[in-house]
Amino acid sequence: MVEIKPLSADYEEYLRDESRTVGSAQSISFPRTEQEVREVLSQMSDAGVPVTVQGGRTGLAAGAVPDGGHVLNLSKMTRCVGLSPARVDESGAIDPDGAFLLTVEPGVVLSQLRKDIEDKNVDVRGWDEASLAAWRALCDAREHFFPTDPTETSATIGGMAACNASGARSYGYGPMRSHVTALRVVLSDGQTLALRRGQAVARGTSLDLVTEQGGRVHVDLPTYEMPRTKNASGYFCAPDMDAVDLFIGSDSTLGVITQVELELVALPRVIWGVSCFFADESHAVEFTRSARAALRDAKAIEYFDADALDILRAQRRASTAFAALPELRDDARACVYVELQCEAEAEATEELWKLGDVLTSSGGSEDATWVARTAVDRETQRFFRHAVPESVNMLIDERRKSDPTITKLGSDMSVPDECLPAVMRMYRETLAEQGLQSAMWGHIGNNHLHVNVLPRDAGDYARGKELFNRWARSVTEMGGAVSAEHGVGKMKRDFLRTMYGERHIREMARVKAQLDPAHILGLGNLFPPDTLPLPVGSEAAGHATDDGTREA
Amino acid sequence: MMNVMVCVKAVPSTTEVKMDPVTKTIVRDGRQSVINPFDASALEVAVRIKERLGATVGVMSMGIPDTQRILRDCLARGADFGVLLSDRPFAGADTLATSYALMRGIDKVRARWAEQGSGDLSLVVCGKMAVDGDTAQIGPELARQLGFACVTSVCEVLEATEGALRVLREVDGGHEEVRVSLPALITVTKDVCNPRMPSITGVRFGMQGPVDVWGAADVGADPGRIGLTGSPTQVVRSFTPERASGSTPIEGDAHEQARAIVDMIKEMA
Repeated sequence: MVEIKPLSADYEEYLRDESRTVGSAQSISFPRTEQEVREVLSQMSDAGVPVTVQGGRTGLAAGAVPDGGHVLNLSKMTRCVGLSPARVDESGAIDPDGAFLLTVEPGVVLSQLRKDIEDKNVDVRGWDEASLAAWRALCDAREHFFPTDPTETSATIGGMAACNASGARSYGYGPMRSHVTALRVVLSDGQTLALRRGQAVARGTSLDLVTEQGGRVHVDLPTYEMPRTKNASGYFCAPDMDAVDLFIGSDSTLGVITQVELELVALPRVIWGVSCFFADESHAVEFTRSARAALRDAKAIEYFDADALDILRAQRRASTAFAALPELRDDARACVYVELQCEAEAEATEELWKLGDVLTSSGGSEDATWVARTAVDRETQRFFRHAVPESVNMLIDERRKSDPTITKLGSDMSVPDECLPAVMRMYRETLAEQGLQSAMWGHIGNNHLHVNVLPRDAGDYARGKELFNRWARSVTEMGGAVSAEHGVGKMKRDFLRTMYGERHIREMARVKAQLDPAHILGLGNLFPPDTLPLPVGSEAAGHATDDGTREA
Repeated sequence: MMNVMVCVKAVPSTTEVKMDPVTKTIVRDGRQSVINPFDASALEVAVRIKERLGATVGVMSMGIPDTQRILRDCLARGADFGVLLSDRPFAGADTLATSYALMRGIDKVRARWAEQGSGDLSLVVCGKMAVDGDTAQIGPELARQLGFACVTSVCEVLEATEGALRVLREVDGGHEEVRVSLPALITVTKDVCNPRMPSITGVRFGMQGPVDVWGAADVGADPGRIGLTGSPTQVVRSFTPERASGSTPIEGDAHEQARAIVDMIKEMA
């Protein structure tokens, strides 16, 4: 039995995550196996103690910050469990160019996973013969990789699944959800679900699940329409959807993910990064729209605005840590980074010429570009892209010395393709109207910009927060998402209500009540306190029990 | 207008180099090779001089045919032309034979400039050393062969004119400011400047720009002074040193300690 420890001063760091909010809890455990997770959940469920699930605590939406009760920290569940090929031919031979499916526990850290795959150094002790055969095939095959690439590589795989994480390459590869083929989930009463894509599918909006212990759970799926854009806001729902998708992005409110089967895909042989600099933001927007249509092999399209570039210039002058950054041209007032991934240099070259044509016709210039074709140049560009948020954080840390109450306010909203110019206009006009300092960067290929308000004082901070509420309403009107990749957690649950409306929030709450009738998982995530916990016998919970749809 | 030559070397991209068991030299299959990082800085120094003063920048390497890929990348980053010295008789060269071959190649470039009435060579820029061989000998040897003044380990170019350079060089315990009249050869450290990335315009030029491949006969090299034949250095054996562990404390005052060390060295010999 795993030890349930009191949350003493030694464990205070587990009350926080990267959202910089601090919660409270009475106890904490660090299970190492699924069985231990089951035992903890059974115990907490019986006692009615809320449970907050944690991985690397790198989330920005406070999903892992406890709101009382117990902290279930999965960082000790770090095993790679097994491997299988995605495709075998009629003779049973493994396709070395095809995908491989790696099953990992939720505490596996992304940076370690990447390194282990790159070095072909996964710990295969205890694997069965089929997994070992697949492993040997993977070692002999060309290089493979896991495509989801959030900026914070100390994130855990479980956390990434819980918030449907994504990153720059989501433009080409989609979010986490696109690369998860199976899950194991422990429900709040300790029962387990083994979910494989295609095997547990809803009929319309009705989903019936059978636990490994023989329990039956009926779920009435919500009826809202998902936005036509990158989205990590609330429960995924669609007619005839797969059960795997319900748990991905659920912010640990429906069950505890104890295994994730990840898709590793063949690494393209040629990867070129191209940073394009523009004298005006409108040209960058025009370029993005044209590049999306013209470039077949673009896997990432990222943006940095003039304010972000200016902050970077200042940090480069002030700090030796940034001295290795390449010099930015004085006339660069916007930058779009495009990553091309191809199978051969000839294809990449053709794409590069196309990119140059689009650039020229959008008001840019082939001279004002950086093309990274070597590992050293790619590393320089990576350093540049990551230096932007780092520089902004340093600026805010400096301001916090005089006013500790202010923090950076970062948006995470996305809109459909056709709304990109409109949303950019909205950001610019409202920021200017409020007189707020800002810096904008992010995934412009997905119309998903992180607009960061940089408050100078408490007044700026309050105006910034109000502005975010306005943006949430406008983005919703455009058919967008209030959270595109960070998840909702506790920070954005008010936006979620704006996005889906009261009725649909109630539908989401019903899903939670059906899967977690004791209302112990992820207290405060997704739902404002006045929506949950619902007392047993209320409309939503009653639906689950009165129908006899949940029986162990 | 100035004429500048930059010497570059293709080096393995990883530290896991393979050694040829017979020749005891590094196996260079070209696939994994990259530009020596010091040489990337050397090119950037030359291109900045070109941007400030106007200059023609040539880049030269000795290596296998695949090294053209690296020269073309140098063109993408601002060089105007490339020359690859690639011929079987050049193979197995030590630093003396390499610097002789480079000198012959540079002489041929100078002859071409003379024919075109484009003036003579003003400056040669080399990386301080290559990360695979670590000898730091090519620059000074080439300067001697060319009869140029030589300034090594330049970490900052303070001033450049058509007639002279004022530079800062790294020396033990600090820096030394040096003014050198041109023509001259300088070797540079990695800190001298951050190499630029090519633009799309640069990449286009890199693919189409002039890169010549010259053999030993093309540059009129004396067969006795190139390749293995022209190399007084012979690698007798290469091996991975065994890691010795443990330490022997030496007691006493400085004089006694020095004597004990001398005795130990004598014992080892």
